[in-house]
Amino acid sequence: MRIALVAATLAATAAFAAADPKQKQDLAAVIALQGKPCGEVVSYTVQGENDFLATCKDKNRYRVYVKDGRVVVEKK
Amino acid sequence: MDIRFVIAALGLAGCTATPPPPVTQAPPPPTVAIAAEPAPPPLPAPAAAPPKPEVAPPAPKATVGNTPPAAAPKAPPKAPAQTPVAAKPAAPPPLDLTSLEKRLKDTSAIGVLTKLSLKNQVDDLVGRFKTFHAGQRPPTLTDLRPAFDLLLMKVLSLLQDKDEALARDIDTSRDAIWGVLADHEKFVKYSS
Repeated sequence: MRIALVAATLAATAAFAAADPKQKQDLAAVIALQGKPCGEVVSYTVQGENDFLATCKDKNRYRVYVKDGRVVVEKK
Repeated sequence: MDIRFVIAALGLAGCTATPPPPVTQAPPPPTVAIAAEPAPPPLPAPAAAPPKPEVAPPAPKATVGNTPPAAAPKAPPKAPAQTPVAAKPAAPPPLDLTSLEKRLKDTSAIGVLTKLSLKNQVDDLVGRFKTFHAGQRPPTLTDLRPAFDLLLMKVLSLLQDKDEALARDIDTSRDAIWGVLADHEKFVKYSS
């Protein structure tokens, strides 16, 4: 029961985070700035502070995170 | 720090953009000349006036004698008055460094991650300019110009739909920014 509640809470949190259009645009812009194909970020999950896993419309997935003051985009 | 530099460069663009006014001051002379041309008509006017005074001949003589001198002084004042009027529309609004820096920081047109990513790329480009000014070749200015144009294009593409005014000001400052980056003295001055 508790596990189900926690899972539901986490899922709801992730769903809420993935619904922020500004964050999606920000991630799409960052990916584009790095010259990587994406087009549009359709969803994303927050993996940590300044650490995202973005899923693009063309099915590409990228981990976008900040390391040593630099934004890094890694294809997954 | 490098972002500050670029912002400073953008701001400097405003200072550098000030020079255009002198250029715009060149056009005024033509306006003055044009103003001088219309002046002649008033002269014929007095000639036309005499016909009216036909009723009172004596008065016109005295008036005619005074009219020429009066007409001459009238023309000069008109010319100077028109010059400033012509200069006003031509003068571009000066770009203030502080306000431009604030606008870039505060604009909601660019997300936080995007701003940081742009800063990274600006830092990289400024680093290449440092290498250039240190005397190393590659990179030459010919190599750096496309990179500069591409980065500026990225910034403009991010701004143009959501912050048109800022995009326009940056675009207007393009040559001035390049001038700062490419000129050794200006680069050292603004990167320190």
